[in-house]
Amino acid sequence: MIQVPITYKGGVYRHDEILDLIEDMGGYIIQKHIIAQDVVLQALVPRDDIETLRAVSRPLAGEVIFAPLVGTEIAIVSMSLEIHHLPHASCDVAEYLRTAGAKTNMIGLARGFGKRIGLLSDEERDIINEHDLVIYLFGNFETCIRQKMPTFRRGIHVPIVVTGGPSTDALKKAIDPPVAGYVGEFGRFMHRTKEAPEIAKLDEIVSEVSRVLDGRRSEIAKDPMSISPARLMDVILEQLPDIHDVTSPVPVVVQMDGVRVKLPYDPFAAQLKEVEVEKGVTVGMICDIRPSRMRDYILVKIRPFSDTGQMV
Amino acid sequence: MPTLEYFQVESTEPAGGDLYRRIASTVITDHDILRVLDRLRIFIDPEVPIFIAVGLTRTVPRNIIVSDFSGVTYDGEKVILSIADETYLAPLLELLWKRFGKDRIMQPDRFTIEMHLSAEEQKGIEELIVADPTEGLFKDLIYTMQVICPEGFKVKKQSFQNGRFWFVASENTLQEDVLPLVQQQFAIMEASS
Repeated sequence: MIQVPITYKGGVYRHDEILDLIEDMGGYIIQKHIIAQDVVLQALVPRDDIETLRAVSRPLAGEVIFAPLVGTEIAIVSMSLEIHHLPHASCDVAEYLRTAGAKTNMIGLARGFGKRIGLLSDEERDIINEHDLVIYLFGNFETCIRQKMPTFRRGIHVPIVVTGGPSTDALKKAIDPPVAGYVGEFGRFMHRTKEAPEIAKLDEIVSEVSRVLDGRRSEIAKDPMSISPARLMDVILEQLPDIHDVTSPVPVVVQMDGVRVKLPYDPFAAQLKEVEVEKGVTVGMICDIRPSRMRDYILVKIRPFSDTGQMV
Repeated sequence: MPTLEYFQVESTEPAGGDLYRRIASTVITDHDILRVLDRLRIFIDPEVPIFIAVGLTRTVPRNIIVSDFSGVTYDGEKVILSIADETYLAPLLELLWKRFGKDRIMQPDRFTIEMHLSAEEQKGIEELIVADPTEGLFKDLIYTMQVICPEGFKVKKQSFQNGRFWFVASENTLQEDVLPLVQQQFAIMEASS
């Protein structure tokens, strides 16, 4: 069953019918936001059933949009979060990627500013590596990007997408060895993105990120995971009652190859390990469970089929 | 809205320079210093690295004195100030408290100040300097340049004298005497007028 990432936007009225329908179809609700009278759902829905969902949501004035980044967690690294350099382009990028379904985390570097002193601490590096992809938002000068890049890519294992003031071609030339994706002409600017060409640039970032993540997906498909991350999320939400006491809007964050569970590691890791996915198969048997560098959360990475020999 | 007589942003990397021109114009408009700025030239060399901004201001407004924003009436030892513009009320009160003491300054309502002063002390009350707009102007100008200048350029030097200002910043230690660099930029700016 091929699941398609979608965003559903509609009213609060009878939205529970949509929730039930998605669950009945065998889909997964990754995020649910209720904002005043509106409901926004990020979900994975079986491809064949999209039209049914559309038909049901029509009388409720709901809208079903394809959202390519649902089920991904993306790190957005801003070179500086200095107050006198506000507003930062990173805010707009993070917000826009969220509309495409991604769960974004902004990372401001402790000593990131400036090409000479910019560096990544081990904590920053580890946090970035916990994501599916990282976007580096560089400034306007090619010289600085060329000089800074080796520092910022050291130890990073996840795909890197770079944005900066120079053109895409100039970025490609400046960065050696190449990174996964480039979006040029989007460097430092001192205003919010409102005009059409700027929004088009944000769309370009979304499509570049989708392209890179599609590549990663097809790589994962070569040796599929023992369980789909969305299903793992469902199992955790069902069988770990303490997760419902978490006040965070997204207590279980779905990633491409795992989930981040927002419960403290020490008291809950053992309990999580014993959660039964199917008869005789526990989470601990098919996943690596380790402490996340982000607060004291639990990071669950799903092991591939070739490793566990199980597919649930 | 007035515009700049001369506005140029030059860089050893022309593409980056163009982007910085856009940043500079956004910041200047946002910080509302267009009314005081007459000419501005920015030079950025990211290789060195150095950021130099030089410029001229328009005629700077004179000092604000008591009679500019309040009416003064004398009734023997009693002096009454009727405040027309509250903007400078706080610095005026600070000044009067410091000079005559809090117990001799009364404020029966928001727009009135009553003082009991001897004939000697009453002299020059109307000409008392309350605020120097250039002080704020200098801070605003330099802050604007700091906002424009690239991230990480933390080592700074600046000056503002007789309507001419300069701001130099770098990531590395600045050379002892930055004046030759500044003069060079002033010369380019003046040559093009």
